[in-house]
Amino acid sequence: MDNLTNSQWISLIVPLLIVQLILIAVALTVLVKADRTRGPKWLWAIVIVLVNLLGPIAFFLFGRRSD
Amino acid sequence: MKQWFVLFNKEWLEILRSYRIIWLPIGFIVLGASQPIATFFMPDILASAGNMPEGAVIRIPTPQPFEVMAGALSQFGVIGLLLVALSGMGAISGEKASGTAAMVLVKPVSHVSFVTAKWAALLLLAVLSFAAGYGAAWYYTASLFDSVGWGEVVQSALLFALWLGFVGTLALLFSSLLRSAAAATFGALATAAVLSIASSSLPFEQSWNPGRLSGLAAESLNAGAASPGDGQGAVWLTVIVTATAMLAALAASARSLKRMPSND
Repeated sequence: MDNLTNSQWISLIVPLLIVQLILIAVALTVLVKADRTRGPKWLWAIVIVLVNLLGPIAFFLFGRRSD
Repeated sequence: MKQWFVLFNKEWLEILRSYRIIWLPIGFIVLGASQPIATFFMPDILASAGNMPEGAVIRIPTPQPFEVMAGALSQFGVIGLLLVALSGMGAISGEKASGTAAMVLVKPVSHVSFVTAKWAALLLLAVLSFAAGYGAAWYYTASLFDSVGWGEVVQSALLFALWLGFVGTLALLFSSLLRSAAAATFGALATAAVLSIASSSLPFEQSWNPGRLSGLAAESLNAGAASPGDGQGAVWLTVIVTATAMLAALAASARSLKRMPSND
């Protein structure tokens, strides 16, 4: 951590955070718009926000009902 | 050929609608980027983790840049493979269960183009996602450690993409053979795991084993080593065997679809 300046540090971490936030935002939008989900919506919201990376992916795979 | 593109477009639309186009690349990018970052901060993480006696000195040699990239590849080899297999989950078994496959296939559509269009769309998505993730790993490795040469990165990416494609093809094959999407995913991952463990632990020569590919990809990152594995010829043999196995798997799944286009 010593040989990185603050702005270098930010320029490395911020893109990674933004990408993850996009994933969470899209998952939450789909969740809110969905008529029905497999399992309660509030539980999926918690999973999407709290489980890093795999939470939103699990929602896309298992949470949506296509019918 | 025109018909094939119609089917391919349908598959691609399905990929957009199921949001796979978003989560698969992001999954790979996060995996690829977090490996160099975690490696870079490992000394700090260990120091703050506690449980160290007072005055303990840990010396971790700074890893070579190609070792960091190889670490990212091994992440892709575990979680990345899982994501690819999950993204292809139910590709054919779902269509069989819902009756879509039977409905499409009563029309004069060849089974081969039905299967290959699916296969091409799945593999295109997987390869694009892997390229994005590997690009992220490369960028982070170059900014935190040191750069890795173009030639080595491209060679290892091609080898690893072939391995991903092989596992994706297996997922498609099992999806056409088995009813349950979960069983198909498990079958593909288990086959991949057995091949890859066999290639690294069995004592005899296995130039034919596709499971070698991920190891070869990691080795070919090291510019210092002469040539990966047991020479260029053995690498080509692995590549050819893998490609043949993929063709055979496609033929087998087209055949199984022809015999049983729906579950009932």
